[in-house]
Amino acid sequence: MTTPRNIDCSADYQVSFKKEEPDLFIDLKGEFGLKNLTVFTRDIRKAVSDPSIQNLTIDFSQVCYLDSAAALAFVQIEKEAAERKITCRLVNLSAEAKGIFSVIHPDVLTLRPFKPEQTREGLVSQIGQTSWSIGRDFVNFITFIGDLLSALVYTLMHPSTLRGKDVLFYVQRAGVDGLPIVAMIGALMGLIMAFMSYLQFKQFGANIYVPTLVSFAMIKELGPIMTAILVAGRSGSAFAAEIGTMQVNEEVDALQTMGFDPVRFLAVPKVLAAVIVVPILTVYADVAGILGGLIIGVTTLDLTFKTYITQSIKTIQVFDVVTSLIKAAVFAGLISAIGCQRGFQVRAGAQDVGKFTTSAVVAAIFLIVVADSIFAVMLYYVKRYGILA
Amino acid sequence: MQEASEKTPILSVKNLTQRFDDNVVFENVSFDVYKGEVLVIVGGSGCGKSTLLKIMIGLQKPHAGQVLYQGADIVRASDEALNEYRKNIGVLFQSGALFSSMSIKENIALPLQEYTDLDAGAIDRIIRMKLGMVNLGGYENHNPSELSGGMKKRAGIARAMALDPRILFLDELSAGLDPITAVELDELIIKTNEALGTTMVIVTHELESIYKIAHRVLMLDKEARGMIAEGGPLELKENATDPRVRSFFLRQLPENQDEQRFYAD
Repeated sequence: MTTPRNIDCSADYQVSFKKEEPDLFIDLKGEFGLKNLTVFTRDIRKAVSDPSIQNLTIDFSQVCYLDSAAALAFVQIEKEAAERKITCRLVNLSAEAKGIFSVIHPDVLTLRPFKPEQTREGLVSQIGQTSWSIGRDFVNFITFIGDLLSALVYTLMHPSTLRGKDVLFYVQRAGVDGLPIVAMIGALMGLIMAFMSYLQFKQFGANIYVPTLVSFAMIKELGPIMTAILVAGRSGSAFAAEIGTMQVNEEVDALQTMGFDPVRFLAVPKVLAAVIVVPILTVYADVAGILGGLIIGVTTLDLTFKTYITQSIKTIQVFDVVTSLIKAAVFAGLISAIGCQRGFQVRAGAQDVGKFTTSAVVAAIFLIVVADSIFAVMLYYVKRYGILA
Repeated sequence: MQEASEKTPILSVKNLTQRFDDNVVFENVSFDVYKGEVLVIVGGSGCGKSTLLKIMIGLQKPHAGQVLYQGADIVRASDEALNEYRKNIGVLFQSGALFSSMSIKENIALPLQEYTDLDAGAIDRIIRMKLGMVNLGGYENHNPSELSGGMKKRAGIARAMALDPRILFLDELSAGLDPITAVELDELIIKTNEALGTTMVIVTHELESIYKIAHRVLMLDKEARGMIAEGGPLELKENATDPRVRSFFLRQLPENQDEQRFYAD
C-alpha cells in the first residue's frame, strides 16, 4: 500500500477512542499489520465490549499501511459487533484498503473443509488397521521375493542382461567401503570376549580355552550376525533410500515405460552384490575377531602367539566355516531384498523415504535374527544326522 | 494497481556479478524493482535468471555487487538482518516446495506460528482467508500429494503470502501447467497485485502470461552475460531492435540461425 500524502507514517501506530454514548468512534493512525495485530485487536475488543455502545465507527483515513491479516481482523470485529446488535461502519477507506478488503471472501471463512481433520482412531480400529497392514506387508514381501527370484533366474539364464558395472559399484559400496568399520567392530568384539571369558576362566585355570571360545563364537555366530547387522544399517538403508527417492522422482515409472523391469534393473545388482560381498566381509570380521582376542591372549593371558593360533585353528572346523558363510549369504539376500522392497513401497514425499528406510533396517535385523534361529536348530540336526537323514 | 509513474524503488540491484570459478553467469547487472509493480525476468536457459532470483532472496551470495532493501545491503547483511528481510518477502519455488509431511493448513500456519504471536483462532481465520484468495477454500486438511500441479502452485502462493510480504518472488510461475491453469494463475497474480499492491518479481517463459501480467520485463542473455533489454512487454515486442530480444518476443529462431540448423541436420 502506498503512503497517503500528508500523514506522518514514521510514528508508531495509534488507536484513539472517542465515546459519545451510544456511539463509539475509533480513529486509526499508522501501520496496521501482523506485527501489531494482537495488541490493537485486543484494545478495540475491550473498548467495544462496553454494553452501552450501539454504534461503532472505525475511521481509516489516516492508515498508512494495512495488510490482509489486519483487514481480516477488522472483518472479524465487524462480525462480532453484528452478533451483539451493534451497527459497525468502516469509513474513509482508501482505494488500496478497499482492494485489500475485497480479497476477503466471507463465505470462505466459514466453509467446512472438504476433508475432515485427521483424528486418532479408536483402539479397535487401530488394532484392525495395524493387523491389516502387517498382513499386507507380509504378502507384499512374499510377492516381492517371488519377483526377485524370477528376475534372478532370468538374469542367470541371460547373463548378458546383468548390469555388471552396477554390481561392481554396489560391491564397492557395501563391501570395500564397509571393511574398516566391520574389521574394527570385529576386533573389538574379539577383544571384549577374550577379556570377559578370561575373567571367568582364570578361576579354573582354564585360560587355554579362551582362544577356543573366541574363535568358536566369532565364526559360528558373532561374525555373521554382526556383519549382517552392520550391512543392514549401512547398505540396506541405502538401498531403500535410493530406490525410494527414485520412486518419488518417477524414475521407477520411467524405467517401467521404457520396458525395463524395475526389479531386474534395480534390485538384482544390489542383491547379487550383497550376496557376493557379505560372506567376504564375514571372513574379515572373523579374522579380526580372532586377532582382537589374540591381543588379550598375548598381553594378559600369558599365552604365546603360537599357542593362541594353534588353539584357535584346532577349534575351527570346515563345516562351521562353510555354514557360517552360507548363513552370511542368506543374511545378505534378506537384507538387500527387504531394502529394495521397502524402497519400492515409497509412494510420495520425503517423509515416506524416511519411514521406509527405517522400516528396511528394522525388518532386516528382525529377519536376520529369525533366520539365525532357524539356522541354529537346522545346523545342529544336519551335523548330527548328516544332510540326508 | 499502482501507477508506474510513482516509481519508488523497493529493491535495488546494483552492479551484480556472479561467477562460479571461471564461468561468468552475469556481470554488472543493475536495476530497480518499483513498489507495486509486476516485474518479469526472462531469458534463455542458462542466462542466470534463477541465479539472480536466488541472490535477490538471499539464498546465494554474489561475487560482487549489492542488493538494497530499504537502504540496507542484503548481500552483506548479518544472518539476523537477512532473516528480518526474509519476513518481508515471500517466495514461490518452481515445484511449490510444500512440505509433504504437513497438510496445506499446517504449511501455511508454519510462518504464522513462528513469526507472529497470534492465537490459534486468528491463525485459522488467516489460513482460510489466504486459501480463499487463491481459490483453494476448503482444502486445508488435504496433503500436498493430493493436489494437482496447479493447486500446489496456488497453495505455494498462499504459503508465500502468509506473512503479507512486501515483495513476492515467483520462480517459473506457469512452467509445466496446462493453459487453463496457467491463465488462472495469471488472473490470481493480477488480482493479488491489484488488491494488495504486492510487488512481484516473476521468472517465466510463457509469452502469453508475460503480455498479460508484466508491467515491466527484464531480459537477460547468456552470451551478453547480463541484461540486454528492459521495458514494457508490448513495447519490447514492437520496438526492440536487438535480434535476440525480437526473436524471443516473436518466438522465432534468430535470423541466420535457421540456415545453420538446416545444414547441421
